[in-house]
Amino acid sequence: MILFKLTQNELYKIFSLVRSYIGIILFTGIVPLILWGYGMGTSHIEGQIESSVSDMFFIEGSPTNGFTAAYFIMNFFWIHIPFLLALVGGDIFAGEHANGTFRVYATRPISRMSIFTSKVLATMIYTFIFVFYFGLLTLGLGLIWHGGGDMLVFHNGVLILESSDALVRFFIAYFFSFMNMVLVSSIAIFFSTMVRNAVGPVIGTMALFIFILMVSSLPLEVFEGIQPYLFTTYFSNWEQAFFDPIPWPDLFRGMGLVGSNIVMFLGIALIIFRRKDILS
Amino acid sequence: MTETETTTPQSIDPIPGDQGSPALACYGISKRFKSIQALDDVSLSVPRGSIFGFLGPNGAGKSTLIRVVAGLIAADKGHFDILGYSSLKGHGVRKDMSALVDRADFYKNLSAYQNMKILGRITGHDSNEHINRLLDLLGLYDRRKDKVKTFSQGMKQRLGLAQSLLPDPKLLVLDEPTTGLDPQGMHEIRDFILKIAAEQNVTIFLSSHLLHEVELICSDIALIFNGKLAAQGSMQNIFREIDNVTIELEVEDSKTTLAFLEKNDLVTQITPLANAISIEIHYNRIPELIRLMSAAKINIFSVSQRNRLENYFLSLMEGK
Repeated sequence: MILFKLTQNELYKIFSLVRSYIGIILFTGIVPLILWGYGMGTSHIEGQIESSVSDMFFIEGSPTNGFTAAYFIMNFFWIHIPFLLALVGGDIFAGEHANGTFRVYATRPISRMSIFTSKVLATMIYTFIFVFYFGLLTLGLGLIWHGGGDMLVFHNGVLILESSDALVRFFIAYFFSFMNMVLVSSIAIFFSTMVRNAVGPVIGTMALFIFILMVSSLPLEVFEGIQPYLFTTYFSNWEQAFFDPIPWPDLFRGMGLVGSNIVMFLGIALIIFRRKDILS
Repeated sequence: MTETETTTPQSIDPIPGDQGSPALACYGISKRFKSIQALDDVSLSVPRGSIFGFLGPNGAGKSTLIRVVAGLIAADKGHFDILGYSSLKGHGVRKDMSALVDRADFYKNLSAYQNMKILGRITGHDSNEHINRLLDLLGLYDRRKDKVKTFSQGMKQRLGLAQSLLPDPKLLVLDEPTTGLDPQGMHEIRDFILKIAAEQNVTIFLSSHLLHEVELICSDIALIFNGKLAAQGSMQNIFREIDNVTIELEVEDSKTTLAFLEKNDLVTQITPLANAISIEIHYNRIPELIRLMSAAKINIFSVSQRNRLENYFLSLMEGK
């Protein structure tokens, strides 16, 4: 019960901050713009696809439909969303330190563990809402704007997914994307427990993310041995949801590594927070 | 420790919630920050129903002890009981305690009411009536819908006191509650502290370096220097220990009075002030002096004792 109340408080605090809406406002503006641009610029792509595969397959609907548009947008944004999530996760502890509100909040008869758990839960709920909204906007608006139909995926040739199958695969893709974004939020929380200002954790999260992303994507032999152990290696694993067949072992292996990183970052953050003297 | 010392709390496990146990009892609390020993084996006992002043110069360790009791920092050694509940048994020790540590800070983008709601929800004291009653008590009801970022420091401090009363505490811990306030704000807070102590039967543990403020409202005090407790006891016992006091005389004819006092051996030190004469005298001999002055036909408008606690405080510091 106390955890429910504390989480309710944390969500109230998150959604009272303007920064929590920056990403949502940004996507609300840019996704329709991309969908509009997508509609304007795909007629020649559509013609090429139809001419190359129409003698082999019957494609229901337009090949550049809402599914393909959503897939296109997902490819584009998975690297930008972490920054927007870090704005909230990075503030969750450090913001209270900076404002001095921990001095009031933490004197209540509640354990540090409860405060920590509620803040983590609230951040994860925010992350879910963010990913859900992103999915709803890209897929929902994409389908309304460009219609449904079969989805074309170019992976080891051309894969045509029926619309019902495509929808299921999008849910799978969004689930794995959500897990990746939970990891980003966990890193932001980790940095947030370490410092007393809200800017540091955002910069720290992005610096770590970019650094590991570079190491995991550099095609250098020296890094090949460690790349399977870097979480960013699996940040595009959601694409595998559109392969045929879906490589479940690979997907779960990636999720295992992402999950273990989440546990590690949150575990260290908990230890730091429980031992932290609130002096500000 | 001086003779005013009350019985040092014994490290026995009291009965939880025992009515006879002190409101707050600290047992050998120590805390070190790197090279600084902020608290060194501090033990003290705060009687129930008292307004307890915790005094010391800046950096003496007052805020550190309060933060330990409030759960903001962990002590290296020692433990404490609040109203019979032991800190050794976890955060539940603070279930009947509330604190306002240092300056009152809030979620600035939320209103006074919303801040109270968030804090009240934690302990289940978030009904509209309760919140509005407390805001009204502190004179903030009309501003309850305004964002805290529009509040003055005095208003924030009053909101700090309002939030500290949310869980209907039996022990209220206040860390320098008048810091940063103008004289009127300080006066309001002092009046409020006296009011809640009397009306709501709350024990108040108050830290301050403003001796005059403590002298005005506290029934018991403890003094801390360099992390070590120097004295504790009731204000009456402390004052009984003071031999020489400083008093200010407001008289009609300063010249005649000065001449009279210089010849008088009751007075040990005379300092003429702009509108009065300050003298040092043994506490028990004040009535005799007044009688002699009246007999000498010196018209006295007022006799006020100044800085009684300050004298005691300084004498202790000099002895350290």
